[in-house]
Amino acid sequence: MIELIEGRIAQLILLIIVLAAIYEVTRIARGRKMKTRGIPGLERLDGWIKQAGTLDRSVFFTPGTGAVTYPDTLAALALLEYVAERCVEQNVKLIVGNADLNVQQVAEDIVKTAYTKAGKAKEYNPDIVRFISGRQFAFAAGVMGILRREKPAVNIFVGDFSAEALAIAEAGRSDAIAQFGGTTNVDQLPFFMATCDLTLIGEELFTAQGYLKNDPDTISTYVGPDAGKIIAILLILVGAILVTFGNQILVSLLDL
Amino acid sequence: MATTKRKMTREELILQVIIFSLGFFFAFVYYVRVSEPIDLQAVSQQLFAYLTAMLTAAFAIGMINLTRVHWINIKRKRATWKFSVILIASLYGMAIVSLISSPFALDPQAAVIPQGVINLFNPIFDFLYYKVLVTINSSIFSLLAFFIASAAYRAFKARSLESTILLLAGLLVVIGQAPVADVAWPGFATIRDWILAYPNTAGQRGILIGAALGILAFSVRRMIRYPWGR
Repeated sequence: MIELIEGRIAQLILLIIVLAAIYEVTRIARGRKMKTRGIPGLERLDGWIKQAGTLDRSVFFTPGTGAVTYPDTLAALALLEYVAERCVEQNVKLIVGNADLNVQQVAEDIVKTAYTKAGKAKEYNPDIVRFISGRQFAFAAGVMGILRREKPAVNIFVGDFSAEALAIAEAGRSDAIAQFGGTTNVDQLPFFMATCDLTLIGEELFTAQGYLKNDPDTISTYVGPDAGKIIAILLILVGAILVTFGNQILVSLLDL
Repeated sequence: MATTKRKMTREELILQVIIFSLGFFFAFVYYVRVSEPIDLQAVSQQLFAYLTAMLTAAFAIGMINLTRVHWINIKRKRATWKFSVILIASLYGMAIVSLISSPFALDPQAAVIPQGVINLFNPIFDFLYYKVLVTINSSIFSLLAFFIASAAYRAFKARSLESTILLLAGLLVVIGQAPVADVAWPGFATIRDWILAYPNTAGQRGILIGAALGILAFSVRRMIRYPWGR
């Protein structure tokens, strides 16, 4: 017996509409040279990595304390791929700190692949990708220790973070390390803004790798979600007007 | 630098098929209930159980990685080798104590391990867990109060129009939150509630909607690996 689950029907319809809109906009945008607002300052990341090489200092990267199944963590790992490739290319020492054992395996694989792709597989060592601790504040203390002892030139912390983010960021700030942060957690974003030189806010986290690679096909996929935003704005506007006049039809429809 | 297209290897293709199938399956069972001929909801729960087992197995790999990294530190007598000794001793020491005496002990009924040994380890576990680990955790957590103060000091500077608005909003919320505000002027609490309920919530929801759509597009891109072969 097959049946739609009650309470999720409207969600499914909305999902199909949004996906169709994203697909259509992406199809139209594909292959075109899209003019985007960009992410201010993102291009500085390459310069920071180069500068780390010039100063003979390392680059520290952490994808946060989230599990490998979290979208923020996946986006952070996608960015790690880019950072690892740049570090290997520029002969800059990379240190990756993890709080999740599964993320550790994936991060190891990404960094190893970057070394292999560059024909430097022998230069990879297990000291690069480190598992620090699964406990939130033990992880924070471990990262603060790495920042203090190894004095990296750049601290990149993007992904899923909770209270430990501020401890890490302040440790980096007090050592005058260039900081690049990013998360979708709205409770932590103000701390990122206050302590980082560059912050990826919300959805920017999912687009950073594509912007950095400057690939038109990838960039075209970022225009798609804007169609979803227009649908969301329209629903909010219509909903606000209807509710103001005492009409609950949209609320009832979305509860289906 | 534009990325060049490349052909996926056979292994990557197999992996991609698995990712797509599982992604589609879990999305499908979230919206559609299928009870006959196969109960797909039960299958999805079973798959989650396998996932939990896999995640648990990763603990062993984590211990191996930690041991390997810190063993190299000790062997090569690096600058921080003494910390590595403490780490390895703490890691294995705590593991042994927890296996003998803790809520997750291997033999809580004392069928194999003598009761005397378990009794001996009880206070050691309590000391290590409650007196050391919990205390250190609380210490690190309490540092946040000072970090918040220094971050706020840096953020709340009237350098531009936006930062002046932020400073004023922050000050009003801080004053409205203080108990003395009610005595001074009840309006502070009203202003605080308004800032938190309207401009703050509107901004947060904007970010959340954008992030949710970003996650949706990112997940679909990962599932179908679009742009293909990048």
